[in-house]
Amino acid sequence: MKALVDLGRTLQRAPVYLACVALFTLMVMTFCDVILRSVFNAPIEAATELTRILMAIMVFSVLPVVSGHGSHISVDLTDPWFDYMRLHNVRDGLVSLACGVMLWWPIQRVWILAERARDYGDVTEYLGIPTFYIGWFIAASTAVTALVLILTGILYFVAPKLLENRT
Amino acid sequence: MTAALIGFGIVLVLVLIRMPIVFAMGFVGTLGFAYERGGSIFDERGMKAAMSMVGRQITDTAQDYGLSVVPLFILMGLFVNKGGMAKELYAVSNAFLGHMRGGIAMATVAACGGFSAICGSSLATAATMSKVAMPEMRRYGYHDSLSTASIAAGGTLGILIPPSVILVIYGLLTETSIGKLFMAGIIPGILGIFFYLLAVRWTVWRKPESGPAGEKHGWGERISALKSVWAVLLLFFLVIGGLYGAFDFAPLNLTFSPTEAAGMGAMGAFLIALSRGGLTISSTFEVLKETALTAASLFAVLIGAQIFSNFINLAGLPEALIAMVTAYEVSPFVVILMILGIYIILGCVFESLSMLLLTVPIFFPLVTSLGYDPIWFGIVVVVVTEISLITPPVGLNVFILRGVVGNVSTGTIFRGVTPFWIADIFRLALIVLVPIVVLYLPNQMGAMGH
Repeated sequence: MKALVDLGRTLQRAPVYLACVALFTLMVMTFCDVILRSVFNAPIEAATELTRILMAIMVFSVLPVVSGHGSHISVDLTDPWFDYMRLHNVRDGLVSLACGVMLWWPIQRVWILAERARDYGDVTEYLGIPTFYIGWFIAASTAVTALVLILTGILYFVAPKLLENRT
Repeated sequence: MTAALIGFGIVLVLVLIRMPIVFAMGFVGTLGFAYERGGSIFDERGMKAAMSMVGRQITDTAQDYGLSVVPLFILMGLFVNKGGMAKELYAVSNAFLGHMRGGIAMATVAACGGFSAICGSSLATAATMSKVAMPEMRRYGYHDSLSTASIAAGGTLGILIPPSVILVIYGLLTETSIGKLFMAGIIPGILGIFFYLLAVRWTVWRKPESGPAGEKHGWGERISALKSVWAVLLLFFLVIGGLYGAFDFAPLNLTFSPTEAAGMGAMGAFLIALSRGGLTISSTFEVLKETALTAASLFAVLIGAQIFSNFINLAGLPEALIAMVTAYEVSPFVVILMILGIYIILGCVFESLSMLLLTVPIFFPLVTSLGYDPIWFGIVVVVVTEISLITPPVGLNVFILRGVVGNVSTGTIFRGVTPFWIADIFRLALIVLVPIVVLYLPNQMGAMGH
């Protein structure tokens, strides 16, 4: 069990690095676009589509990490009561499992949309990047998110101690 | 209508057992959508329509160009923080205000206002300022209730004075211009600072020993303190001025879209922090990582809210509410008062973002159909949200303060916050009764050819 958690911790570095690079690129590109447009009257024409792609990469690469850390935005109003009843691990386990399982349908759907884009040969406007790659990426990362949520849910039942200090 | 209300009830229950908001809203929104389309949640055709909506929502939201302002503005706030600007802002306001009775608390409020102009989050503003201002106020023997309250209240300005993450989310949910929303936040934000200063004065007038005067600073010191914050001021004017269209003249012709303003702000903050030696490779990485994680959770929640909102609209809840208001001949102003009442009650228990996501899809169509300005309503919602941040029992800013400062009880902070809370209610009344306070700047912006 502990090996699994450690493996998760090591594996999360790669998507985090990817998101950081995407974000930094987005910042520098937006800056350069404004400067090039206003000073040299030569905007980066592909800036809009690159922004879209970089955003999708940034958000979806760290989505499994956010889920694994349990840092989704949620309301902790009833925490004292659950803590008092010593039911918090059961609750968190069930919620995490449910969330993981319910992602199954959207994953399928996003995949179908990506496949459809591939059939149609959809590409981005300026750079001609096939859009199904983005769909694939979103579907794959949502699938990893579902897996992480399900594993976390199981851990809440079998080894809740391992889930402390997750960030 | 019934389906929408039941759906809303289920979301509340799920959220209260701590299911992440994105899953609670997404789940109920999907099933509700299927029910509305197919007549039952098990209907195959209805489910297909719902899944198709969900799939589009996920892929489109992640690639929404307008949403890129979210990570970029968060990035700007975090980089600014690394540049040590919170400390300098505080030093400046202290040099000007510190010698008055209660002056150091007043300086805290002013510095919070200044920091809000580069940071879009109330929690971050409160957390940052408490590290800087709290030791100083303790050194001068300020009562904990006044010092913590001035930070908790001052921190709420973070989501009103642009840039503001909450305003961005509101703008995206309601398809309202983010640039105009930002402009609209400026005057109410300044009013907020002014009213909080009065609250400090009132506290020390009632209890002079709670906030003794600090040292007087000469003009030489004041000017030199001012010199250290020029970079922050410049950054703010660049970002906000660019959005407003202030540089839109030949040969510059510089007008920013919100994304461009955010990108310039983030890059500017990065360069400032870099030039001051506040950044290493590993701390840059930490900032980027924190931004990406925060942005991802915001995006997720937004996807959930949009799925839910699609269901609410399909179920006709907004129309039903509008019909009800018309049938009972309720005057629009009474409707606004009722909505404000609901917000203040919800604010007692809900955290700001959750409250916004749950309520805006329902109230927004109603308010706009009554003829109110969407920009104005956005600011009203944000001001009510600010109030909720310092309202017991779940005033989040108060908890942040207790977490960062330590050895202060929540009760002490809430007691100190009371005058600030009353000041907020006055400000809210002013904004509701005199909408031009909010709308003056965005209207000017329209006149400049946007």
